[in-house]
Amino acid sequence: MLEPVMFTGGLYKHDLVLELVEDLGGYILQKNVTQTEIILLLLVPSEDMNTLEILSRELRGELVRAPLAGTEVAVVTPTLAIHHLPHVACDIAEYLRRHGSKTNMIGMARGVGREIAQINEYETALINEHDAAVFIFGNFEDCIRKKEHLYRNISVPVIVTGGPKIDAGELPYAFGYVPSIGRMAHRTRKSTEIGSLDNIVEVMGRALDQTRAAIAKDPLTTSPPRVMDAVREQVPEVEFSYSPLPIALNLNGVRVKLPYGLYKDRIAAVTFDEGVKLGEVAAIKPSRMKDYILVRILPSSETGFVF
Amino acid sequence: MDPMEVFKIEVTGEEEFGARKYREIIMDILQDLGLIRSIGRLYVYVDIAVPVFAVYGLLRSGIPPLTVKDVGDVMKVGGGHQIKINDEEHMADLLKALWKRYGRERVEQPARDVVIIASDTPPSDLMVTDMEAEFLQDLTDALVRVAPEGFRNRRNVMTKDSFFFIAAEESIKPELISEIEEKIREMENA
Repeated sequence: MLEPVMFTGGLYKHDLVLELVEDLGGYILQKNVTQTEIILLLLVPSEDMNTLEILSRELRGELVRAPLAGTEVAVVTPTLAIHHLPHVACDIAEYLRRHGSKTNMIGMARGVGREIAQINEYETALINEHDAAVFIFGNFEDCIRKKEHLYRNISVPVIVTGGPKIDAGELPYAFGYVPSIGRMAHRTRKSTEIGSLDNIVEVMGRALDQTRAAIAKDPLTTSPPRVMDAVREQVPEVEFSYSPLPIALNLNGVRVKLPYGLYKDRIAAVTFDEGVKLGEVAAIKPSRMKDYILVRILPSSETGFVF
Repeated sequence: MDPMEVFKIEVTGEEEFGARKYREIIMDILQDLGLIRSIGRLYVYVDIAVPVFAVYGLLRSGIPPLTVKDVGDVMKVGGGHQIKINDEEHMADLLKALWKRYGRERVEQPARDVVIIASDTPPSDLMVTDMEAEFLQDLTDALVRVAPEGFRNRRNVMTKDSFFFIAAEESIKPELISEIEEKIREMENA
């Protein structure tokens, strides 16, 4: 089994980590260089974790488990106006990022208000491309209950956050409800506020585990990190994409940040060592996000094999 | 402790949490914009069932306009008056006011913080900027930030010593205004 971990350390000799992970049969999900520091998101075989831990200690790096690595989470606010940003939405997004997930912030066009809040089909479809979503609501209990229709049609697990305490059972369309994190005009810095962020990560971890368990019942034909590696190798143009993460991983596929019209055939033609082409084991679709390519790996019940 | 004399917030229904949280938000925003010292009393009334958000506030005594002697020292020098600037924040406004009064050819700036005017009349009492207008602008900005975002129908009445702001999702009718005025009067007298 592959273990998701985050390595934080100096740039010096970090290639030793990359080489070791490749030799162990793991995957490098993300590489972030910030001046002399580097943050690596890795998938490492759990039986070889010890080897990596020894190397990381030698390099004076830090190795922590990143339970949300390899997932894409939507952080949804009623709009992208000053009322919701920057404090709550950015803090939640940043906190989820620190636990390894790729977060996208989405502001709805008409999500504001109690009576007038709306979500459209495009927004719903865009949120459904993620593995889970966090909906950030305000401080009035009545409004939080009333705005349930915003996430009723979303098929991925939705975690709702708001100020007052509400029993999660009273919001049947949400996977979980995290209180004490409604609208505020200051940074989350008190320990109680950080605790609420931890709660979001905890509920998010549970939601993603549930999705993983559902996928395990009818396993995917191949794993998303393997697709990512093959695409990176056979379509080198992806490295020149201006996006910070040219191939974003989902639990059931990947999003390749290249124009759909120009590259869809080349992505479909990516061939694995077994001789199978990606187009045969995955659906290649246009993503709702810009002009990207969405790869959804088919389950074994559809293809008849797993490799 | 609140720097204001009175700060009451009333929210209908069982929304104690919302009331407490909005108190914090209002304080944070007023502090961010540096307005807290200029407001004496503040009454906030929220009816989530309508929904409507109203703020009534009494301002502390008016802010005098900023004059040249407030931003720098005025001295008589040969051929005119010299202003040694202490507060550079209002430099642009100061130059604009001087140019308007004396004309550009009579205003000279030999150094960053020195302005010389070729005139016998001292510019000490010339108004640089109307602080009150600036304050009212900031206050309107604060009220728009404080009100929940979906409440896009707004009505703001400002007088010399008070302001009355209503924001709602639906159109604001005269009956609603008088109803809120009544509620705020009750809060004042309570």
